[in-house]
Amino acid sequence: MRLFSRRRKQATDTNGLGATLIALRLDDGDLAPAQSTVVIFNAAGHARRAAVGKVSCEQGEMAFCFHPGPYTVDLVPFAAAPEWGLRLRFVVDAANPRVSQQRFDLYLYSETAGRLELSDFAAAVQMALQAELAQGALDLPPCTSLEEWHAFRAGLNQLMYMRYGVTVDDCVPVDVGDEIDYATILQARAAQAAEAERAAIPADTAGTAASTVATPTGLATCLPVGQMSVAEQDARALRRLFLELPALSRELRLLALPEGLDIFQQQQSMLLRLGMAALNVNTMPSLAWAAPDQPLPAADQTLRCAQALIAQTALDEAWPLLARLQLASPEQWPSLLEEADRICANLETGLSLRRTTYVPRTEPSL
Amino acid sequence: MTTISVSAVPANAECRSVLADGRILTVTASRRPRANRADVKCTAPNAPSIAERMQQVVRLARHTEARFDSRDQVMLSMDIVPAADERDWELAAVLADRMVRGLQPIQPTIAQGNSDAWHLGRVDGTVQVGEGAAPVDAVRITHLGALIGHADLSAAVSTVRTWFPLHSGGINDTLGWLEVSVFPLEAAARSEEDSITAPGLELTAQQEVKQTLNAARHFDGKALGRWRTVVRFGQPRFQGGSYQLALVMADRLARGREFVSRGRIIATGCSSAWHAGRVDTVDGRESKLELIFNQVNHGDRVLLPKDWQDCLPPGFAAGLRQKGATLACIDKIGMI
Repeated sequence: MRLFSRRRKQATDTNGLGATLIALRLDDGDLAPAQSTVVIFNAAGHARRAAVGKVSCEQGEMAFCFHPGPYTVDLVPFAAAPEWGLRLRFVVDAANPRVSQQRFDLYLYSETAGRLELSDFAAAVQMALQAELAQGALDLPPCTSLEEWHAFRAGLNQLMYMRYGVTVDDCVPVDVGDEIDYATILQARAAQAAEAERAAIPADTAGTAASTVATPTGLATCLPVGQMSVAEQDARALRRLFLELPALSRELRLLALPEGLDIFQQQQSMLLRLGMAALNVNTMPSLAWAAPDQPLPAADQTLRCAQALIAQTALDEAWPLLARLQLASPEQWPSLLEEADRICANLETGLSLRRTTYVPRTEPSL
Repeated sequence: MTTISVSAVPANAECRSVLADGRILTVTASRRPRANRADVKCTAPNAPSIAERMQQVVRLARHTEARFDSRDQVMLSMDIVPAADERDWELAAVLADRMVRGLQPIQPTIAQGNSDAWHLGRVDGTVQVGEGAAPVDAVRITHLGALIGHADLSAAVSTVRTWFPLHSGGINDTLGWLEVSVFPLEAAARSEEDSITAPGLELTAQQEVKQTLNAARHFDGKALGRWRTVVRFGQPRFQGGSYQLALVMADRLARGREFVSRGRIIATGCSSAWHAGRVDTVDGRESKLELIFNQVNHGDRVLLPKDWQDCLPPGFAAGLRQKGATLACIDKIGMI
């Protein structure tokens, strides 16, 4: 039977692999280009790396191929300073034989749908880096001294390896003023503000209907519109939590702890909480139903999805925290465990609000 | 498991606001374990609509924060009720909510202001730091980050504030601030110095500001004749040139060409060769270091001339690190 399906299928487009494309999903029978690496995930999500050539999958298996690089991207570490950037060169390293699951394989399996373009990857890395810098996990202050730069580099390397599974080859500060011009950005903002003002003037004369827009209550109408629908966002967040929480707990369990019963107990309680969160995710009720035969209104679905996204954000913060714990000296551990407590609490809050039972709103009666 | 975040943060904070009829309203915030309750709870005596409005404002303002913490519930209460159409208490509520969670290193006592876009951090208001007896410093802000000198990410004019130690004989030493605002010019200016203004300064000081910026922009290489610049000083009457490093850093930050510190930038230093990016030493080391050490907050960045590095009092750098600030002694501006 597979003979016929193979003949009909178009060959997958592998152009740009290694330049603008990091990885893409292949189908059974596709030809993986030379110098790339093929990863095959079985139905249970376990990965194995296969030889380059024609991909052959078993029932329920899924194949990706990626090019090890090197890739170069320009990142802007601070949104307020768009002309000062970092030029990052990274590679996807060969498989580490000491771990059972490669981090990059997990990243492909849990966060990549179809194709992993270099520009999308750079945008994700930039957001992660900006969040770390804003929270003070990494430090890149003005007039950075050499020691501060080395500390930043060490933190960045570990972050990139633990969060995305890529190895930073080189990272230098660059002046990206030739590509990004702050003056043009400011002029565009001024034009936008003028436009908004012009739009507001006729609305004001229209009367009371417009005055509600100015108050914060009008904000509920402009919820963020992503490319994904609410159901897709929710499913993606839950799938990521389902796949990554066990992997995260495994890495946390492997950490070398400093001496002291206190820290050991806190680590154990953190592992327990992550385990309970994983269980919570595995048994999460569906998004679209309030009860059997009772669909949930769309607005409440959006609220549920927002809670799942809070849990996903906590997961996004947990990987960098793991990277910091791996580099931490014994005196930094208490503050990092306090951070872990916060992340666990956010995860639990998001998940528990995601699964709260739906109570239809009723007007109070006398 | 009930946990409450950072124990070093006080469990209570308050911020006052003057109402239109002259009464003084106090917003008191306290923190307790959340335990499955709402993240913010607000009360106003006999005015549930105002409490609801306060909750909405505080929640919107929290969208501008980088760090989300669901462990605490913050309770906000007002002691007297403002009129229903009055809105200037909003800033006091937002600041009290931040202070009680330890996110506001500078703790204002009186604040008034309101906003139609709290979720963007925009606000139109004034903030006073310090009690009535001490010299009160009323500062006008247009967004929440302005309290630590950051530029507003949604404004068309980029404004950055930096601080420098003003030495005036012991007890009156303060941190003075200066503010640089830039906006792109449509057509290139005839000379760089025409495009820079410093209102309120005397002529010689104005000339010095212009020359400093002109030379520092020569060093930058990509900034000449493109910006209309306004420089303001918190205290326009001073002597000496030790503000120059703070001015140059504010200018670079305002033009988006320098890494951003998490807190304020506190800098002292001057130069005879800004066009080469060099930083020279200034006078009054002991008193300035002492002042900086007392005033520094969490997240601040302290920049000093390189010559001071060997003369720092013992434990100065470690003390700053303990307070959450970082220190660099530099002989050259720019990357590393």
